[in-house]
Amino acid sequence: MPIITFEQSNGTATEVEVADGGNIMRAAVSNGIAGIVGECGGQAMCATCHVYVAPEDAASLPEISESEDEMLDCTAAERTEFSRLGCQVRLGGATQQLRVTVPSDQV
Amino acid sequence: MSTAPATCPFTGAQSTQTSGTAPTPHANAPVREAPVAEWVTIEDLHRDPFPIYQRLRSEAPLHWVPAVNRYMVTSYAACHEIEQDETRFSANERNSLMKRAMGHSMLRKDNPEHQVDRDSYGATLRPGTIKKHWNEIFAQNNEKYLGELLAKGPGSDFVWDYAAPYTAENLRLICGFHNANQQDMQRWSQTMIDGTGNYADNPEVWDKAAASSAEVDAAIDEMLPYLAKNPDHSLLSNLASMPIPLEAIRANLKMTIGGGLNEPRDVLATTVWALLENPQQLQEVRQDPALFPKAFEESVRWVAPIGMYPRETTQELVLEGVRLPAGARLGVVLGAANRDPKVFEDPESFNIFREKKPHLAFGGGVHFCAGTWIARAQVAQVALPAVFEALPNLRLDPTKASIDAGWVFRGMTAMPVIWD
Repeated sequence: MPIITFEQSNGTATEVEVADGGNIMRAAVSNGIAGIVGECGGQAMCATCHVYVAPEDAASLPEISESEDEMLDCTAAERTEFSRLGCQVRLGGATQQLRVTVPSDQV
Repeated sequence: MSTAPATCPFTGAQSTQTSGTAPTPHANAPVREAPVAEWVTIEDLHRDPFPIYQRLRSEAPLHWVPAVNRYMVTSYAACHEIEQDETRFSANERNSLMKRAMGHSMLRKDNPEHQVDRDSYGATLRPGTIKKHWNEIFAQNNEKYLGELLAKGPGSDFVWDYAAPYTAENLRLICGFHNANQQDMQRWSQTMIDGTGNYADNPEVWDKAAASSAEVDAAIDEMLPYLAKNPDHSLLSNLASMPIPLEAIRANLKMTIGGGLNEPRDVLATTVWALLENPQQLQEVRQDPALFPKAFEESVRWVAPIGMYPRETTQELVLEGVRLPAGARLGVVLGAANRDPKVFEDPESFNIFREKKPHLAFGGGVHFCAGTWIARAQVAQVALPAVFEALPNLRLDPTKASIDAGWVFRGMTAMPVIWD
């Protein structure tokens, strides 16, 4: 099963198993991961599931869509080249492991 | 599987659950029946709901309230659970007043039908279109209506002489009603909202709502063929080229008129009122205009423009320890959830510097407000900074009362202001 590792700014890391095809936001919210909100339920509308993907994983992810891109411009925490919208990134297939850092703010 | 205790992103509560399913009550926690709050009156709610919410929320996450004929859900945790679970909590409630006043809009549908309607709005209300197109329109409209307030002079009403026409004109263009004016928009909005809230079954209210509904139908009929040939960035223009039934276009536009005018108007006025009443915070904001968005978010938390919306349970269930039957008519009182002391410290105070926690003013889940970014842009980005810059030493008129009212919808109903 695909695995995501959520890293917090205080250094703690939590591993979460994700169902095939599951997205980062849903995995975080279902497992009580602090700092990821996902208020809009995953429709790329609220920009509160922002994560920073580990550099070694970022390049292999599918490209950022237009709707994901415009929401990444609206995040509370600074957007970097490793910023992704958690609800728009799915695990499974070629993406079996991901390491992400949770930003300091989502609101 | 989690390898460490998980922390709830909303309340900070820690749980040791290791499954991917929603938390279940502790094994020994008793399930109780909903307490009944016979002491709640509509009149009291309308005048000032917050003390009522405080008492309700301190007793239980939800109560059966006879005066409202609903289970009023006042705790943050319960409201949040409802919003994120459309399977157990349906938006398509029986005997919907909104359906009677406006037709069957997306707001009263569940997925998959809801998503078809929602997707038909396309990119019109999304941040990209706001940046490329709407911000400039908002700025032009703001200059016009702030100018009218200035010309009318000190003693004018901040709501009726500025905030209302400004937000109405913005919505008129967002919808695409080139054959109506902002006064029409205000009239349509208020009469149809009154129909949506017509629990008293007042026939005059139904008549006025029906008259507005017919006017909106006629306006849409006229605009759709025009916009098909002369497309612009409006909702109706986008819809003119989609295979969406006319019935759905009509209901969704009416819902948008009801949901996209009073609300930004109210948050604009409430925020200004709150800053004027909290001069230290106002001073900080004036020194750093990047704080206006913070003031906006704290304002919609503190007085959510929409204080309650309905849901209906699809099965018997337990919500935050309280048993609810199938078909239970709920009121999701986000006006109360937004002041839950379990989430917000000193929640009754307006404090733009409070610890950031997500509020529920824009709802959550599939029905998360489609106009969220439109509201943030037209109020926090455009209007608020301009108001304090254009009106030197703006203050509430000490000789005439400001009045706030309402609970299902709450805002300033009168706000006389003066300036130098």
